Amino acid sequence: MPSSDVEDLLRRCAPQVLGALVRRYGHFDTAEDAVQESLLAAATQWPSDGLPENPLGWLITVASRRLTDLLRSQQSRQRREDAVARQVLPGDWLAPAADRQEPEGDDTLIVLFLCCHPSLTPASQIALTLRAVGGLGTAEIARAFLVPESTMTRRITRAKQRVKDSGVPFRMPSGPDRADRLAAVLHALYLIFNEGYASTSGPSLRRPELSVEAIRLTRMLRALLPDDGEVAGLLALMLLTDARRLARTGSDGELVPMAEQDRSRWDADQIAEGVALISEALPRGGAGPYQLQAAIAAVHDEAASAEETDWAQITALYEVLLRLADNPVVSLNHAVAVAMSKGPEAGLELLDNLERDAALTDHRPLAVRAHLMEMSGKPEAAREAYLAAAERALSLPQRRYLFGKAARLSPEGPVV
Amino acid sequence: MKYMILLYGSQQDYDTMAGKETGKPAWSAEDIKKMVEFMGAINNDLTESGELVDAQGLDAPALTRRVQFKDGAPVVTDGPYAETTEVIAGYWIVDVAGIDRATEIAARVTMCPGAGGTVGEPSPVDIRPIGQAPAPDDA
Repeated sequence: MPSSDVEDLLRRCAPQVLGALVRRYGHFDTAEDAVQESLLAAATQWPSDGLPENPLGWLITVASRRLTDLLRSQQSRQRREDAVARQVLPGDWLAPAADRQEPEGDDTLIVLFLCCHPSLTPASQIALTLRAVGGLGTAEIARAFLVPESTMTRRITRAKQRVKDSGVPFRMPSGPDRADRLAAVLHALYLIFNEGYASTSGPSLRRPELSVEAIRLTRMLRALLPDDGEVAGLLALMLLTDARRLARTGSDGELVPMAEQDRSRWDADQIAEGVALISEALPRGGAGPYQLQAAIAAVHDEAASAEETDWAQITALYEVLLRLADNPVVSLNHAVAVAMSKGPEAGLELLDNLERDAALTDHRPLAVRAHLMEMSGKPEAAREAYLAAAERALSLPQRRYLFGKAARLSPEGPVV
Repeated sequence: MKYMILLYGSQQDYDTMAGKETGKPAWSAEDIKKMVEFMGAINNDLTESGELVDAQGLDAPALTRRVQFKDGAPVVTDGPYAETTEVIAGYWIVDVAGIDRATEIAARVTMCPGAGGTVGEPSPVDIRPIGQAPAPDDA
């Protein structure tokens, strides 16, 4: 069996093994270490020795033994050791029987809810989710977020400790709590995707492996909660956005705005899947923000060219979205859509209001102003706004794009 | 032994790299790509060898805030540097066998691709040993 297949299998099993251990023994933090060690043992043994008959059972058995060892060494002076040892039924020390019912995927969901517990900061939720649910190693996660491994180790250790200390029972949240907790899970997955899609700083624009992982985890969540419209909406949004990945950067890594992208490089399969998901979810009614954003992405993706984009429909969707969540980024995008459907002056008017509120202090309102000034035939004002936006942008590709736009509007023409 | 390897640059260098008209040779998209790949490869190799402790690029000197004790009170200055003053632009902290290995890494850094297909960092690269803080009892 190729080792990449083994890795896929291991990463699918990881949250289920953790779920089984925490359900049986508690000790979320130590159990997570034990699971990582069982995955490591499998990754070294399986490619050469072949798969065990019941890979999930094998992992649970090995991880349980390891957990017992870890707890023994941690608490050798405490009686709890004996209590834990007694909890392990003799049957669990042998490989599980072939007909033994393993817990269904629900445990994955409970582990995901635990990792996105509201007592954790978003940065910790993301790190813990990638490790405990995604099955990624600490070194990989550290690299993806460009922090030293020791920093990521501390972040994950503290997060696990906090989950354990919070005393949250290992079961699905219920009642009104469940909706809030699911929203936190969706938000964490969305942040992982965005971190991969649009790195906010640094020299390179994106770290695709994080987007791919976010899509994989959201797909898994969708399989567990097939009737949830916002889960479907988030998956559709990711697929419809990621579909433009190849066209979004030029051959030398430079930023290509959507209007100038080569649409033949968009991923037609991902677009079809995203459109199908959102078309199925929307008619159920009560669409939330992820479904609306996915619907907007679908309108963009279905346009054969930038000129054929149905901006009136996009404007209407942004208006629904604004009623749900009054958010300055949504207001900014709405202003762009209005400019495209009703003319730049209408967009600039909305932009003036937005700038008065001063809710967005980064380069984005200035970049939009520059585009709209250019559209309305005012190259000098556009150039000034592009320069001002470039001074505020943090990522190198964004700065180069904005300075490039300014240079093309310069009275002397672009410097080559 | 831990060493800090330091890279220098001016506000003008930052602006030139970001595509602003400064009078210095412009960076093409390809130049940028080569530079990013070059730095990424160094970081990757140092991670693989286990020698990397940390590596960061610092943001533009114009964003610097300086605090200085003057006439009995701390005084804050935003953007204290002239356009062409060279300041620290980035660093690596490496944990290596000794100064010779740190020198090898720094030598590799100096060969960074630049604007217009050139090779070689225009500014020097420094290696500073990281000192051991004396224990409170030694003080």
